Amino acid sequence: MGLVARTIEQHGIPTVALSIQRELTEKVRPPRALFLRWPFGHPLGEPFQVAQQRWILREALHALETLKTPGEIVDLPYLWRRPGPWTQSG
Amino acid sequence: MHLHRLQNRLFALVFSRFPALTARWVKRQKLASAGPPPWVPFHKSLAQCRIALVTTAGVHLHTDAPFDMSDKDGDPSFRVIPQAASQPALCITHDYYDHRDADKDVNIVLPLDRLREFAHAGEIGAVAPSHYSFMGHIDGRHIERLLAETAPDVARRLLHERADAVVLTPA
Repeated sequence: MGLVARTIEQHGIPTVALSIQRELTEKVRPPRALFLRWPFGHPLGEPFQVAQQRWILREALHALETLKTPGEIVDLPYLWRRPGPWTQSG
Repeated sequence: MHLHRLQNRLFALVFSRFPALTARWVKRQKLASAGPPPWVPFHKSLAQCRIALVTTAGVHLHTDAPFDMSDKDGDPSFRVIPQAASQPALCITHDYYDHRDADKDVNIVLPLDRLREFAHAGEIGAVAPSHYSFMGHIDGRHIERLLAETAPDVARRLLHERADAVVLTPA
């Protein structure tokens, strides 16, 4: 996935990638990444947890605005199947 | 089902729950040194942006050919996911992760419903007309094809469709 992100960015479009395998992301070095210590197959979280999915997608979109260092990986602090800041949000 | 596919799925069940196990696998991978990441500054306001999604979770339309699971080096081809596609039209072909949850709600790997909601609410400008899906388990000789052909093809399509930014989601 990181390779695809790099290719798209090389063609002139800014990208941001979610990651759930930090070692792989460190190796491949996509331009912008957010790492979640969540199980494979769940980069946006749990099924039908709409608020959680929105939260993660929003974080990814805002990372486009905030990240300024190529290759930076942001470690998101959320724990799997634990309440997060999305529980109060829509 | 072929025995190796069954074996892959069993491994996928274990690895999906314990991603740390794959760290050792990653260390052994002989990925070419990636070099400095490419960088395109992002200047626009999200509310003016047309956003596209690209996933490597093996999602595709029921009506499209599934990814090739018989090749142990994976399948570097991609599938187009139209803007309006939703759960009933989509399925996942990917033996290397446990996608039972994503089969129930594809938004956990391809958050297209969420993106449409953001566009509707004005948080983003628009949802791109097409989104793209790969099967993330690509290895050996197929990495070359991904880098030389299929990933650039997707990038050119995204440019043609005037995507302002792309969010990528793994399996």
